[in-house]
Amino acid sequence: MKRILIPLFYATLVRPWLKYIIGVRFENVKTLREAKQFIIIANHNSHFDTVSMMASLPPKHFLNTHPVAAGDYFSKTKVLDWVSKNILNTIHINRKREPGQTGQPSTIDVLNGLLKQGKSLVLFPEGSRGEPGVMSDFKSGIAVLLKRNPGLPFIPVYLVGFGRVLPKDKTLIVPLNCKVRYGESIIPDPTKSVEEILELTQDAVLSLRKRDERRYDKFAFN
Amino acid sequence: MTRRIEKMIRWYNSIPEEIKLVFLFVFALLILTSIIFYILDKTIHNHLTSDLIKRNNSWWKIAIGVFIIGTFPRIYGTIIVAFISFSTLREMLSISPLRASDRLAIFLCYLAVPIQFHLAYVGFYNGFIIFITLIMFIIIPIILMLSGSTKGIGRSMSIIPSILLVTVYMPSHLMMLFHLEFKDFLLGGTGLLLYVIILASFNDIFQYIWGKLLGNKKKMLPKIVPDRTYGGFLLGLISTAGLAILIRFLTPFTFWQAILLGTVIGICGFFGDALLQAIKRDLKIRDTGSVLPGHGGFLDRLDSLIIAIPIYYHIIRYIANLS
Repeated sequence: MKRILIPLFYATLVRPWLKYIIGVRFENVKTLREAKQFIIIANHNSHFDTVSMMASLPPKHFLNTHPVAAGDYFSKTKVLDWVSKNILNTIHINRKREPGQTGQPSTIDVLNGLLKQGKSLVLFPEGSRGEPGVMSDFKSGIAVLLKRNPGLPFIPVYLVGFGRVLPKDKTLIVPLNCKVRYGESIIPDPTKSVEEILELTQDAVLSLRKRDERRYDKFAFN
Repeated sequence: MTRRIEKMIRWYNSIPEEIKLVFLFVFALLILTSIIFYILDKTIHNHLTSDLIKRNNSWWKIAIGVFIIGTFPRIYGTIIVAFISFSTLREMLSISPLRASDRLAIFLCYLAVPIQFHLAYVGFYNGFIIFITLIMFIIIPIILMLSGSTKGIGRSMSIIPSILLVTVYMPSHLMMLFHLEFKDFLLGGTGLLLYVIILASFNDIFQYIWGKLLGNKKKMLPKIVPDRTYGGFLLGLISTAGLAILIRFLTPFTFWQAILLGTVIGICGFFGDALLQAIKRDLKIRDTGSVLPGHGGFLDRLDSLIIAIPIYYHIIRYIANLS
């Protein structure tokens, strides 16, 4: 039931709403058609990022692709928990682990397990949403994952303008043009070090950024 | 099934002959240009031909849109124009240098679109005329003031209402055309609407062609629209006025009224285009969006119509009151 209903919900309601009311444009999505399993790596400015990323996925990838979200934030209320797990298909992980805690597997292991099951992931390696228009350094976990899974491609995605539609700590969604831009998928060389792979992913995302689009990234000033 | 066909036949018969003629001509022209551009693209494939095909496809979209607005029940047309107006508003707000504290005011601008088009749909003239120019123009600065941040507030207070004026108030006059009444004139709003859209579109084409034919001799506004020359502008105006006389059968206008309206639409078209170019140069962007490939965003296509519509409306409202 869920297999049919949720993609249908996206195709008939979420996608038209995003495209025609909010003004989201999906660029170069055809990259996804050829890919089988992948990790999508995107910059993160807004909660809207996750919704648009999921809406951009073709139906065949939809149920197999999981955005990775911070459990401490999304498990706060029952509604948010249900929506994020069922509608957005997210995997909740614990960002802050007590240093001495050993019972739980680490985040990397959880994600690695999912990849081994053949699932695809959507990751925002900046960690948190941060300042609009400013991309902070990636956390190294993504590179570790790629190194442990040789042959697994990653797809860089640059999100433009979502920080204005729904900034951090705001609830009012204001329609303004924004873009989800896919890059070509890249298979990193597993013999390279974690640092080199991390740099590769970061450069891949940054290379999708265009100079004259800076204006869409953030408001002129407060 | 048969009832549906009957309904379609009734709808077809309800379209006046003149309107049918115009659409027949427009669609025939589009089919012809599509075939020519397709063959050109197959034989000599280059940048220009693919650009021409993109532009031609955009003209198809525009023609089909105008066909729906002109011949379907008026509610469909109102929804389409309201949606285009909404998208233009969003495009314009997206490229403008606004502040984070302007978000609520921007949101209210979007809410003003359905209200304004509802007023235009029911033809409540007084409400329609003052809703944006008076009520929204008071509400927006108050909301901005209440947001608490004063840095750059003057700029936002002028940018947001102006955008609302240009992208919502002015296009909404298009739907008010349907409420004008003339003696012994049966085509109503459809004819008047087609008249202004055809003239504004062809004025663009005329000015472009004349400018190219005459060569770049004396430029009008070299810093803003470098491809427009005095010769192209004047001959474009004359051609538009000529076309205005030629398609006078769509309207109740006399010979001189048609010349006046053709000239006014031509001048407004030129200045509308130049104004948007000036804004885009200030913001250092080429197109405002990419909804209609080859034309840029909605605004890039509507620029020549936007100022023309309200002026056209008020001139013919005056003419209607005379008759």
